[in-house]
Amino acid sequence: MQDKRLDEIISNENSRLEEIGYGGGLPSCGNFLVMDASVLESMYAASGLEIIPISDAIEKYPRVRDELYFSLVKKDKNEYTRLASGARPVGYYIRVEPGVKIEDPVQAAFMLASTGGTQVIHNIIDLGQGSGLNILNGCTTSCQVFQGKHVGITEVYVSEGASLSYTMLHNWGKDIEVYPVTGIHVEKNARFVSNYAAMTAVKKLVAYPTAWVEAGGSARFHSIIYSKNNSHFDMGARAVLKGEDSGAEIISRVVSEAGIVISRQMIEGLTTGCKGHMECSGLLLDEKAVIHTIPELKGAHPDINLSHEAAVGRISSKELSYLMARGLTEEEARSLIIRGFLDIGIEGIPPRIHDIIEDTIKKSVRGSV
Amino acid sequence: MGLLDIKGLKVSAGSHEILKGIDFSIEEGRTTVVFGPNGSGKSTLMGAILGLPGFNITAGSIIFKGRDITALPVHERSRMGIGLAFQYPPAVKGVRLSTLLDNIKNGDEDLHTYSEMLNMDQYLDRDINLGFSGGERKRSEILQLMVQKPDLLLLDEPESGVDIENISIISRALNLILEKDKPLRKRKRSAIIITHTGYILDYMRADTACVIVGGYILGCGSPSEILAEIREKGYSQCMECYRDMVRRDTGAGQET
Ligand SMILES: Nc1ncnc2c1ncn2[C@@H]1O[C@H](COP(=O)(O)OP(=O)(O)OP(=O)(O)O)[C@@H](O)[C@H]1O
Ligand SMILES: [Mg+2]
Repeated sequence: MQDKRLDEIISNENSRLEEIGYGGGLPSCGNFLVMDASVLESMYAASGLEIIPISDAIEKYPRVRDELYFSLVKKDKNEYTRLASGARPVGYYIRVEPGVKIEDPVQAAFMLASTGGTQVIHNIIDLGQGSGLNILNGCTTSCQVFQGKHVGITEVYVSEGASLSYTMLHNWGKDIEVYPVTGIHVEKNARFVSNYAAMTAVKKLVAYPTAWVEAGGSARFHSIIYSKNNSHFDMGARAVLKGEDSGAEIISRVVSEAGIVISRQMIEGLTTGCKGHMECSGLLLDEKAVIHTIPELKGAHPDINLSHEAAVGRISSKELSYLMARGLTEEEARSLIIRGFLDIGIEGIPPRIHDIIEDTIKKSVRGSV
Repeated sequence: MGLLDIKGLKVSAGSHEILKGIDFSIEEGRTTVVFGPNGSGKSTLMGAILGLPGFNITAGSIIFKGRDITALPVHERSRMGIGLAFQYPPAVKGVRLSTLLDNIKNGDEDLHTYSEMLNMDQYLDRDINLGFSGGERKRSEILQLMVQKPDLLLLDEPESGVDIENISIISRALNLILEKDKPLRKRKRSAIIITHTGYILDYMRADTACVIVGGYILGCGSPSEILAEIREKGYSQCMECYRDMVRRDTGAGQET
């Protein structure tokens, strides 16, 4: 590895990386850093864990090449998957051996460093039976980059009884376009939790990750979006409950000062005992903001239980004046309510990751108390 | 000059005039109870004193600590020392009660002494008033006032829906804020208490009682005498005074 260059870059971009949870003295079991198309850091320090560049994994493991690579995400799904399949893959392959549970998270960061460039990433996560892992992914641009495109393919395999918490912090800029395509296979009695936070402006972001859930497994998608400027978010999640007694929860909270946020959610219950709940709420702070929520439920068996709640509106003036009656300024009261709205009390994620998300929210909400 | 002086106050909500010319004062260290039938304008008076939105002051003035606060925003009145225990406190989803209390308190006070006193310890980590029972909401209001320590407490039916044991707990807390243990001349804080039943007067001493009917203050006097009269005859006698008031204001016999 080019250690000198790495040190230099990491120190130059320190603050940008720390904002997305990379470095900053956080304990971790492994690190992976990509800038544009170069892997700058790839290391792991826990037994039963392996983190290597995906190109190496394809050479090393026939299973990765034949069974995992472009399996949950189809090569010809759209122009972005086609773009990714035509290029030499850049990204990580993370593998955890069966039964190994690791508490400290993997930290991974993807940075766009050249203006006008397109970064194409392909990541594969491969959790063995009964294993457990936390991953903290961050995406950002270097300080000088204002324009560019990020395409990210992610394929996630959570084997029987395994548990993955996958946190993604996006910190793009107002002229960056982002096109992630994600597929997740949650096997029998496995758990998958996705936490997503995008708290800064973006030119356009389109994402609709899909989880296929087998018997007794569960998939949860939690996302918070704070939209500013002319951002265009088309963000959602879909869970296909294939196995008996599988479950899904999709919670999305959107706060918008300006721009358009389309929030699509879908839960499909295909067989007996499937349970799913979704909640999408939007808070409009200004007339310049549009929030469009599209909750969809599809039941294909009578013995299922699917439900949704959706609400879009403004901050309640009753609540505002209630807090102001206690001496908070309007700004302080709004900020408290917005932060409360975005705090979805995600359980099951490590406290440190929770702190990072909290911090991101605090920084983004103006007039924080 | 009193702690609070209200003169000729008229307040409307929408196109509807609710308070029709209120004159009202309270001195430092005093407690006044306010009686009046449903819809007579009691909560409106409190809302107007604090400056809550939705109440438009069309005439008159509110002087607090010698300063005209009629046009001040809510939070400034609050910071000057006015605290309201809401009749219907709203829930604030996502904001923990402890977070709000941390924002209200000044210095590093120990919130637990207060929350323990009000049996509210286990509610600190819950969202403000969310899913609270009626009585729990009322205790949450008093807890917030204990931390806020206002010089003028506006208590809008603090005991309604509260069980007897908790009325005594609430009253003990209020007596503490109001320094009722000190001699009168040393007390600085005052309270206006709206009550229908007067139960709270079994636990707290009030100096004066006033009766509001149809947006008028019809008169003030001894709390026990007025309460006894209302208990015996309802507001029927007051209705006569009320008609006199309307006649005086309109110069004719018909109501507005
Ligand atoms: N926004 C509004 N628009 C129209 N009328 C209103 C509005 N707000 C209050 N009112 C009316 O003003 C009157 C006084 O209301 P207020 O809440 O002050 O009564 P109250 O004396 O506190 O009654 P209660 O004992 O039932 O609490 C009521 O008739 C009520 O319907
Ligand atoms: Mg009332």
